[in-house]
Amino acid sequence: MNETALFNTLLFAAIFLPALFGGLLLLVPKKAHGVHVGLLLLGFAANLVLCFSLYGTAGAFEHEWLGFEINFSFRLYQFNGFLLLAAGAISFLTALFTASFAWKREYAKQLFSYMLFTVTLVNGALLANNLFVMLLFWQGILATLFGMIRLGSKGAYKTSVKAVILAGTGDLCLMFGIGLTEHAAHTLAMDAIANLPLSGMAGVGFVFFIIGILAKLGAMPFHTWQTDASHDAPAPFLAFLPGALEKLLGIYLLVRVCTGFFDLSSANGMQTLVIVLGACTLLFGAMSAIVQKDFKRLLTYVAISQAGLMLLSIGTASAMGTVGGVYTLLNFAVCQGLLFLAAAAVEKQAGTTELSALGGLIKKMPVTAVGFLLAAASVVGFPLTGGFFAGSLAYDAIRQSGSIYYIVALLSQFFVAAALLKALFAVFFGKGEKTGSVKEAPSIMLVPVAALALLSLALAVFYKSIVTGLVAPTLVDYAGADTLSTHTNLLLTVLSVVVLAFAALSHTYGAKKFGAAQSADHFKSAPVLRTVYGMAEKKYFDPYYTGGFVIKAYAKASLFVNDAISRFYDVAVPRLTSALSSVVKRAHNGNQARYVGWVLFGMVLLTVLFVLFL
Amino acid sequence: MLVLTPLVLSALCIPAALNSTPYSFNVQLPLGLNFGFHADGLALFMAVTASFLGLIIVLYSYGYMAHAEHQDEFYLMVVLFIGAMMGITLTTSLVFLYLFWEISALCCWRLIGFFREREYVRRANKAFLITGAGALVMLAGFLVIYAQYGTTDLLALRGKEVSNVAVTLILFGILSKSATLPLHSWIADAGIAPTPVTALLHAAVLVKIGVYAFARLFLVTFEMEAFWHTAIPVIAAVSALLSAGAAIAENDIKRVIAYSTVSQLAFILLGLSVGSELAVAGGILYILMHGISKGGLFLCAGIVEHTCHTKDITKLGGLSKTMPVTAASFFLCALSVMGVPPFGGFFSKDMVINGALQADQPWIAAVFVIGAMMTLIYLLRVFVKVFLGEPKAEVHTHPEGSPVMVFTVGLMATLSLVSGLLVNFPASMVGTIVKQLTEVLQ
Repeated sequence: MNETALFNTLLFAAIFLPALFGGLLLLVPKKAHGVHVGLLLLGFAANLVLCFSLYGTAGAFEHEWLGFEINFSFRLYQFNGFLLLAAGAISFLTALFTASFAWKREYAKQLFSYMLFTVTLVNGALLANNLFVMLLFWQGILATLFGMIRLGSKGAYKTSVKAVILAGTGDLCLMFGIGLTEHAAHTLAMDAIANLPLSGMAGVGFVFFIIGILAKLGAMPFHTWQTDASHDAPAPFLAFLPGALEKLLGIYLLVRVCTGFFDLSSANGMQTLVIVLGACTLLFGAMSAIVQKDFKRLLTYVAISQAGLMLLSIGTASAMGTVGGVYTLLNFAVCQGLLFLAAAAVEKQAGTTELSALGGLIKKMPVTAVGFLLAAASVVGFPLTGGFFAGSLAYDAIRQSGSIYYIVALLSQFFVAAALLKALFAVFFGKGEKTGSVKEAPSIMLVPVAALALLSLALAVFYKSIVTGLVAPTLVDYAGADTLSTHTNLLLTVLSVVVLAFAALSHTYGAKKFGAAQSADHFKSAPVLRTVYGMAEKKYFDPYYTGGFVIKAYAKASLFVNDAISRFYDVAVPRLTSALSSVVKRAHNGNQARYVGWVLFGMVLLTVLFVLFL
Repeated sequence: MLVLTPLVLSALCIPAALNSTPYSFNVQLPLGLNFGFHADGLALFMAVTASFLGLIIVLYSYGYMAHAEHQDEFYLMVVLFIGAMMGITLTTSLVFLYLFWEISALCCWRLIGFFREREYVRRANKAFLITGAGALVMLAGFLVIYAQYGTTDLLALRGKEVSNVAVTLILFGILSKSATLPLHSWIADAGIAPTPVTALLHAAVLVKIGVYAFARLFLVTFEMEAFWHTAIPVIAAVSALLSAGAAIAENDIKRVIAYSTVSQLAFILLGLSVGSELAVAGGILYILMHGISKGGLFLCAGIVEHTCHTKDITKLGGLSKTMPVTAASFFLCALSVMGVPPFGGFFSKDMVINGALQADQPWIAAVFVIGAMMTLIYLLRVFVKVFLGEPKAEVHTHPEGSPVMVFTVGLMATLSLVSGLLVNFPASMVGTIVKQLTEVLQ
């Protein structure tokens, strides 16, 4: 087999092999639990091996497919190869955890199968080199998203519908954006689209691209299905899709769009749009996180805020912002995944994720607690963690874009730190009166927790090497990006310490006044914030509900118009016909003279018509 | 066998048509009239699609109509209807196009009122009167063309410019048949017909006659003014949005799917009328993809109605537990209509919307994106209300329909998926058809 053939085989195997395992899983009898787990782990392990073997290579495959420039085209290069490997590693660890979490559960077979199909779709979207093909894989996730959420609690189908409608709307916007971009670039080939000026159709295309990316990232206003899914969907789903793979995909496309397809640096308006959306998501997510009463829901809001940070950082369209954003993504995928897995372990062992019902788990679940602590420290940007190093680039890039965004980022850091302190103390410290019989999670679930914890440490220890050797080289457009690894941010170090100290003080105050599980409740009664939280509780910020009212009103109006048209045919037309027929009836009275008159009138009419049209 | 024959014969003619040597038969009659058939790519694509879907629906009827009276009349009308469709697709004469058109309308009238109850007959009359009136107006349009060029031969009329009056008159007929606003109201009322009939009329054949006639007359044959490439998409956009809105508000499962048909037909009309090659290809592909998946949805709705004796989705629920195959089939077909990959509907919908953008109609394309979003909403709503949640007390749970009915809906669902996975086969045929159309017009 020559080199090209081998490359193509590996490429196609990386895309379609997981789906093959997923398909096989569906054929296995329901009670063959061992086979289910075997196929799941085999599928994900094979995927990881393939991603690893492809990493570091480059190449392309193109085959004419549907005509009209819609070619079956894939391209592997440094950036997507790196993300492919990251996705493969994190999804393998999540699968390992899920294998134990879902063992012998009724939905296990379907969940495993959907996870494998999702990996195929994610890999396909990452490797696609044709916008149509990318959309095909990207939008295909809707089906597995619906399936995975629906497998959760009894009423989970409602959340799955919400997820599909919100994510589907984003995907349709992306489709529109792709169409507009193709119109401007005259090609669908992703490697041929570069630096489109952000004016006219291309500008509108950019906006719709961003909307599609926001939906995939779970950023505002497309975030609300994730918080509902945190309650309804099977717990590992959160770590798998919204916690890792969707963010990887969203950031991948964001980087391609902001630093490749479009010339963002020359269009201040568009750049501001991305930055403002990122800042809103960051702040809103963080503010929402602190007031949550459920462990998984709190973590979901933290994930939303982190998506905002990445958006904000990459939206700066600078080398520093992009490297910072990508490093934040890496840190996020590892640490947020770890946080979700810890929450899932707690749910499985304690049977609840209500913060008020938990406590004292540090002694009973020490490995999980340590994992959570490491991940939380990194997410809040505690000095010398991976999150801190990522932030040292991201925050400086944000500061260069405007002080207001910097302040928003620091404020959000405070809220996120307060939220995670609340979760930490409510779940792992204190008395835990209802968690007396809880034990540490099974070993197989602790393996991915420990692996992710080690990875989070590695992101801190090997920061310079990772930036120089992995992240910077992927960003081919930024010559000298690797020098960013030596970037120091003394201001951020000082400010982070101050912000974290304030968060600790806030937590101590709140915990004394309301208890650990409600340690942030003083924010709920603060002026202005009280109104904002009140509006949030009434779901004013949930487009699914606010949009639902609009859609319902529109639907009623449409039905009214349709009924009116129908009544025209049912009532008006028959009445008109009977009126006409009664007139003709009156003319038809048996009087010979009248008939002669009609004949003469007809002849005159015909003559006139004949003369006119001859 | 009578339905299988046209399918096989049409399929056999495809290679010749794609090699630009279509089978053709044309006899000139006095007064510029003619009689003939021309099996080009477009005609055969439509003929194969219609006869294939017709065959599956006839198969389903063996289960659905097993205990119905007047079965001989039912099957006679169905076969005559499919025959009329073959005539419409293949004819080379405007006069015979009209004749086959009216035969289809007569069959449709008998089939909608098949159960003979007073209300059913009234609704059948409504459908016949709207489509019949439309056909008469269209005939007037044909007469204008005949008066202008002295022939009814579609082959001889290729590339001829037609007046706006003729276009308007012909469009009246086309829009009434393809159930486009404001001539669409018969289609929702026609839901009282036996389910195989609604599937045949709404999904596979009848409503597609209109859009096919549009393609035959205004893509292959006549040239119309550029103004129509904006006017028709605007009509389609209004039709798509208003019918999608009505589909969200309706509670009768068949009426929801009927309004969905009106909305989806607007996508096809957009593709065929907006004036870009990609959109035309998408529009033609849409005919096949929509036929398969919408046929599947109607047949699933038929199983639900047949077993639960209600069409009110507010009285249904939780049926996925007792009717898992029907539920899964409905969901898969719905995904295709929604345009979720890798189902067939994704490709056609994307091609139509991007085609509209290529034709410099971004606003129209944006409206159809909203229409596509509303498709997600109303189809998910129906699926959730009928198949998920807890079963409603007033409707007893029922097992699946008869094996043949379940087999056919499963087949439709499988085809919805396979048509997407193997989309390159129909797409390459459509690509050749569009290429031939372009050559013809040049």
